[in-house]
Formats: sequence, structure tokens, C-alpha cells
Amino acid sequence: MKKIAIYTLALALCGGALYTAVAMEKAKDEAAQAAAEPKEPVVCFESRKGATEVTQRDIKPGWPNVKCSPTTGAALWYGDPFDGTVPMGKMPGLENLPEGHALVKPRSEKLAILPMCGTACHNGVGPSFSPPTLPKDKKPTAIPTMESLVPDLKDLQHGRGRIWCLDCHHTTKRDKLVDHFGDPISFDQPQLLCGKCHGDKLRDWRDGIHGKRIGEFASNGKKRWFTCTECHNPHNVQDGERNRGFVQLQPEPPPQLPNGMKDASHELVHPVAH
Amino acid sequence: MGYALNIRKCIGCRRCVHACVAENNQSRGTRPGEKIEWIQVLRMERGMFETEKLDHGYPEGLGIQVGGNAYTPAGQVLEGQFHYNPEAVPEKDATYMPIACMQCEKPPCVKVCPVRTTYREGDGPVVIDYNWCIGCRMCMGACPYWARRINVTTPVLPKAEMNPVTHYLGNRPRMRGVVEKCHWCLQRTRQGRYPACVEVCPVGARKFGNLLDPESEVSKILERKNVFRLKAELNTFPKFFYFYD
Amino acid sequence: MQQLIRFATDYVGYVLKGGAKFYAWMGSLAVLIACMLYVFYLQNTEGLIVTGMTSQIHDGLYFANLVFLVGVAAGAVTIVFPAYVYHHEGMHKVSVLGEMLAITAVIMVMVFVFAHMGRPDRLWHMIPPWGIYSFSAMLGWDVLVLNGYLILNFICGFYYLWCKYTGNPINKKWFIPLVYVAIVWALSIHTVTAFLISTMPSRPMWHHSMMPIRFICTAFAAGPALIILIFMIIRKNTRFWIDDSAIKLLSTIVTWCLGIAIFLTLSEVVVELYARTEHANGLYYLMFGLHGLTGLVPWFWSAVVLMIGAFILFLTPAVRNDVKRLPIPCAMAFAGIWIEKGMGLIVPGFIPTPIGEVTEYHPTFVEWLMMLGIWAFGFFILTILLKGAIGILLGDIKFGGQAATAK
Repeated sequence: MKKIAIYTLALALCGGALYTAVAMEKAKDEAAQAAAEPKEPVVCFESRKGATEVTQRDIKPGWPNVKCSPTTGAALWYGDPFDGTVPMGKMPGLENLPEGHALVKPRSEKLAILPMCGTACHNGVGPSFSPPTLPKDKKPTAIPTMESLVPDLKDLQHGRGRIWCLDCHHTTKRDKLVDHFGDPISFDQPQLLCGKCHGDKLRDWRDGIHGKRIGEFASNGKKRWFTCTECHNPHNVQDGERNRGFVQLQPEPPPQLPNGMKDASHELVHPVAH
Repeated sequence: MGYALNIRKCIGCRRCVHACVAENNQSRGTRPGEKIEWIQVLRMERGMFETEKLDHGYPEGLGIQVGGNAYTPAGQVLEGQFHYNPEAVPEKDATYMPIACMQCEKPPCVKVCPVRTTYREGDGPVVIDYNWCIGCRMCMGACPYWARRINVTTPVLPKAEMNPVTHYLGNRPRMRGVVEKCHWCLQRTRQGRYPACVEVCPVGARKFGNLLDPESEVSKILERKNVFRLKAELNTFPKFFYFYD
Repeated sequence: MQQLIRFATDYVGYVLKGGAKFYAWMGSLAVLIACMLYVFYLQNTEGLIVTGMTSQIHDGLYFANLVFLVGVAAGAVTIVFPAYVYHHEGMHKVSVLGEMLAITAVIMVMVFVFAHMGRPDRLWHMIPPWGIYSFSAMLGWDVLVLNGYLILNFICGFYYLWCKYTGNPINKKWFIPLVYVAIVWALSIHTVTAFLISTMPSRPMWHHSMMPIRFICTAFAAGPALIILIFMIIRKNTRFWIDDSAIKLLSTIVTWCLGIAIFLTLSEVVVELYARTEHANGLYYLMFGLHGLTGLVPWFWSAVVLMIGAFILFLTPAVRNDVKRLPIPCAMAFAGIWIEKGMGLIVPGFIPTPIGEVTEYHPTFVEWLMMLGIWAFGFFILTILLKGAIGILLGDIKFGGQAATAK
């Protein structure tokens, strides 16, 4: 009996040692692999793909600013809701909020060609600007250069043909939007522009019912406000035939099938009974 | 605390579901039962009525007693697909309805708990003391919203994926054999922060706030919008409201 | 005190001795019990993942058996009631056997509770002063009434046996009132079990006030059906003779309780399926399947065939009056009710879920083994209890007498 016990013990020890050795080697391999692969920065989108990208980084060790979905590349979790924000600026109706409690992510940083608008083309010089001329009215005119830059302009959906560029864009300051008085509005404050027509939406947005805010939930808390253009594409607000204000997205993966279920095809069958 | 969800806005992208998992340290294994999600998104068909169907039904060929389009699902029916996975959402012919714990004012789950391990907190959420739960699952049977999940095994939670900010009644890692559910991210909301699902909803359909503050977004919704409670006929008095523009 | 020790040693000594058949029976049961212990160990190391239960369908075979066995325990009252209230001669002789069956069934229920729990190690959380007892919870009440019933039956049964053993007269001053309490209590255990599931509006399949009476009816059919089977076995294997009159009366009770149970089931089918609201989805799944999933359909229809078949056989004079043929409908009724009340009632309550998800329940081998093991455990206890009781009733064990052996 004792003999067997000793043999077993020896065998177990040998096995254990062998396993440890193998395991160590494996761990080494994995470490080497990880080192060999250069870490690409993870970029995910917040609301609308292609318009609100954010790069993942560690705020403190093991605490990223944002977690991204491996399936769809969407932002899934905020470590710091105020990462990369600036004060919203003056907004009528929100004067009662404490200083610095209304934050936004500047939209102008996301608009790639914005810095060039006023310098490269609409700079007041060039063949069509001597002598400097301006559009005499706001009547629609096809502008092939702009259409090639922003494809959505070809068949502008916004307003169904009742709206044209200069209803929203400033006539002379092309890196600005325009209000009812002809004064410029920053691209970082599109709500001031959109609210010109969509007053009910602006009211709901101001009260937090429409649109999205993150951060502290108290009504006077510190919040990052999502501005209109972070979620809506102003040139294609109706997303074509679907006629909805929000674009289509790839959904996150479905839930796990419960034990014993092979697929979810039964969900497509409707129960029929009299 | 109160919650409101705009079902007209929801596009069914399930981002809330996965934000919840990232925040609340749910089990995320691969074996059946090892993956737990607290939010379910139900896809319901908009329905379509057809002339050809007019004579279908019962009796066959006449459709007098049961009309031809009677079996066309339309509207909010709590009947549809949970496992939908199209290339893009929202689909034209569907609406979506996310469902999670309603944090009832009169929670049936609390009443049936034999050890009082689940109870209503003063500020709203119905919570569970995971260390006291005996895993009898009576609460799961009593919940009319299927909000509760059982940890059928020791939860799978990789170290790197764990959220280190936890709450005893909230998202601390659970153990085998206990029941868990949504608690409105107690570890965040008690610190004043929005729940994780509110923060990731790309369409801003999810709203959270203080029901006692007339300026909060939830109070404004109750004041301004058409609101309903799911299964209000059961007198559970959810503090989770559905609304539409 | 010395009497008590002698009682215990005599009892154990008598029970342990038996023929080859006895040892084979107990041995095979022991094997199943060992399997049960192993899967119980698995469940408490791996977790409920080794079972087929999910978050959607979180009560399965264990809960079904639990509900059924509470019925069997309550069913024992069908012996005690005629014996003590109607002073039925034949029943009075065997009433203690009914109490032994009740004890066994309650113990089995408790083992099924252990099997069902996610954390059986924490069950003490229910027991004050260490734990918290909740008066609002039906499960709390169920535990209370079950334990009370166990204690009542233990006292009544063993006090009776003790008196037979010592030859002392029974102190009727407290014994008879206690028996009456036990009779009412028997109704309470099954009523509370019915309330356990019928008080949940979230599960429309269970949420109707017919549930307690249906439970009682099925219990008073399944319980005595099992008792008749056991009596037949006792008559065959021991010198203890059970009167035909007792068996006759029991079979009458089975017949009419079964008849009422069938009637109630049919009523439910008509009420639910005539309007065919969303609330009938569970029953519809059970009877015909839902969304093309038909896992429980054969179960339901086999239960219907078994129950109605048994009822017709019970009504047939050739079977009814022939004690030899009686076990056939008894076994059929027992099996039919086991399906109808267990798998056929508990599982479809979860299909669909309250928010409309349709899934199916696939009990695993572990669950079947656990179930078999617990039934084996029950028969193990029952054999011991019945053997000892019969020994005393026969006078084989008597204070001051020679320790005798049963055949």
C-alpha cells in the first residue's frame, strides 16, 4: 500500500514539474508575441461613424478614457466623460448652469477641411473674385467643386429642396455658420443654428430630453453635451429612404443562446392560433 | 432616481447591453449560461397589412371569425426576436424595445424573497446582497420583466476586463449560484454619475435623473411627454418609464 | 430512558436484518444514492451549469419533483382522515404507514430543495436567529409548513409505534387533537405550495385561483395511488395483512380525485384556449408547441392518456373490484400526475418568459441522475420506516420480547 502511495506521489511530482516547465515556455512565447506586435492605437466612434472618432488611451494604468467594441468599433464605456471637452460657450436658456458645467467636444476639430475653407478657396482672391463678388441671392446653384468634396450635397435632402447652402453657412466667413441676423456662429455651437427652425427640438435638447449628455446626472451637474452634428449629418438628415434622423449602424452581437438551444430560428416563426 | 427611455429613438444597436457588461462585471464566458447580460433588446415587427390576406384565416377561405391579417404582429406586443443580428440597424420594418430591471416601487421580487436579500433602497433601486442570496430563484419567477439572471457557475471575468470601481450592492464580482440584475449602476449613480447605458446610447434614447428635482430630465419628460410603464396593470409601479416624441 | 434505548436498538436491529431480496433492494438503492451524492458534489463545485436550467427556465426537474412530492406527503392524509375521523377499521390498522410515507415524502422534498438551490450552503440564512425569516415570502411559509408537517407526522407516527412497542395505552388527550391538526396541516402544505407559484402574476400559466384545489386533487390521487402500490408490495412480501376494505376505500378516493383533477384540467384548457390570449401561450406550448418548439408536447399528451386511461380503468368493475389488477391504473395515475404536475406544470410556466422569449428546457443527465438518486433515497428511508413500523405492528419487536427477524 505504502509503496503504491510513494510511486503515485513521485509520478505526480514529475508531472507537476513537467507541466510547470511547459507552461512557462508557453507564457514566454505569448510575451514575445505581444512584444513583436506593435500596438496600434484603438480608435472608436461615439455616435456617428466617421464623424465622432475618439482614440483610446490610458488615463491611469488600467483605466482607459474609453472602451471600444471589438465587433463594431463603437465606444462602449467612458472612463472619463469629460475627456477632450471645452466649455460650451454662451447658450440662451442655460445661463443658470454653474460655470464650466456645460462642456462640449469641439466639432471644428473633427471637420477636416474646415481650416482650409476660408484660406484655400473662399479667401476673397482668385479669378472669380476680381473684383470680389458674392452670391447675390441664396437661390440653389449646383457647385461641382463642393459636390465632389461633400457628396451629400448632390441631392441635398435637408429641407427637401427648400434650403440651400447659405441658409446655414455664412456668406463671407466660410468657416462659420450663420444666424437669423446674419451674424456668424461657431461650428462648435451648431445648436444655435439648428434651433432656428427646430425650436421644439432645441427646447427638448436644452432640457436634456432630446439628444445626449454624459457625466453627472444632477440637473445642474457637470455634463458633456452632445451637439446636433455629433449625431445628425446636417447634409443628409433623413438618411435617404429610411426617412429617419439617425444613420444605420452595425449592431453589437446578440445575446448568448441558452443551454440546449441550437439556434434562434424559432424566433422568426410566429405563433398562429385561433 | 428615475429612468426614461424613448422607444421611438431606440435603434436596437445593443450598445447599452455591452456597456452594462463592461461596467457591471458580468460573467462573460463562452459556455451556455456563462454569459450574462442584464439588458435585453426586443425586436418587434412593424407589421404589414395585405389585401391578399383578407379572406385568409378561420374559417379557411372566408376569414369571418378570424380575419386574414389577424396574425400580423404590429406594435408593442412583447413578441419578437431577441437574437436578431442584421448588418445594420435600425431596420425599416422593425421597432426595438430594450428591457431591464424596472426598479419597481412595489417589486414582486422583493416580496417573494425568503431571506430578504433583495430589497428596495430608499433612493430607488432594488438591490441584492449577493452574500446573503441563497439562490432559490423565486425572485426570478416573480419578476414580470425577466430582469434577473442566475450565475449558474463561477462568473468568468478576466482580470484585464474588470471594472475596479465597485459597490457592495452593485457591480462587485458575484459568486456562483446567486442572482443578479440591473441596479442602475449604483457605484456610479451614488457618486452622481449617469449609468453606463445612458452614457453610450448613440441616439440619446436613455434618460436618467432625480424624480424629486423638477428640473431633471426625467421630471421634464414626465411633465412634457406621453409616458407609459411596462405592464402597468400588474401594479408594480416601475420607476422606469417608456416615452415617445 | 432505558425503554427508549431499547426501542432504538430493537428497531435498528430489526430493520437491518433481512433476506437476500432485502439486501439487493437496499444495495441497488444505495448505488443510486451514491450517484446522487456525486452529482450533488458536482453541482456544488461546478454550479448549476451542469444542469439544464437557464436564466430563462430556472426551475426544472427538481422543482417539479418537489411540488409533486409535497402532494404525495399531503396525500398520506387520505389514510389518516378516514381512520381517525370516520373510524374506518381497515384504515386505522395501517394509518401509521401513511404517516411514515408522509415523513419520507417531506424528507425527499427537503433533499430536492437542497438540489434546487443555487447556494444550499446558505440555507441557514432562512432560519432565525442566525438568519432572517421573511413572512412575506411564500417559500418561507412553505418551509415552515413542511417542517411542521414533518414534526407532526414524526410525533404522531412514532408515538403510536412507541405505545405499540411498550404496550402502554395511547394518551388520547393530546394524541387525537394532534392527529386532527396534522390532517388540516396536510392540506396547508399543498395549498401553500400551490400559492408558491400561483401568486406570481408574472407567470400567467400559474396565476389562477384554481391552482390550490387542483394541487390537492392531484395530490389525493397520486398519494393514495402510491400507497395502494406500496400496500400491495407489503402484502406480498410480509406477513402483515392489509384489509381489502382499506385498499378499496383508497382506490375510491383515487378515482374521484383523479376525476376531479381531469375535469379541472379540461376546464383550464377550455378557458385558456377559447379566448387564446397571450396568457395562454404557456399552455399552448405545452399542448401543441410554440414557435415550432414542441419539446413538452409528448409529455403532455402521454399524461393525458395515462390519466384518462387510469380513470376509465378505475371505473371498470373488472379492474376496480380485482385487487390484483388495481396496481395497473394506480401506476398509470401516479405516472400521469407526475408528468402533469411536474414537467407539465412547472416548465411551461417559463415558456415564454415574461418578455416573450421562447426557449426550451433540456434536462441533463446530471439532473436525471440526481432525481433518480433522490427517489432512491426516498425509497431507502421508506423501506426502513415501513419495515420497522410493520415489525412493531406485527409484534415482532416488543419491549421485553426477543429480537425477532422479519422474513
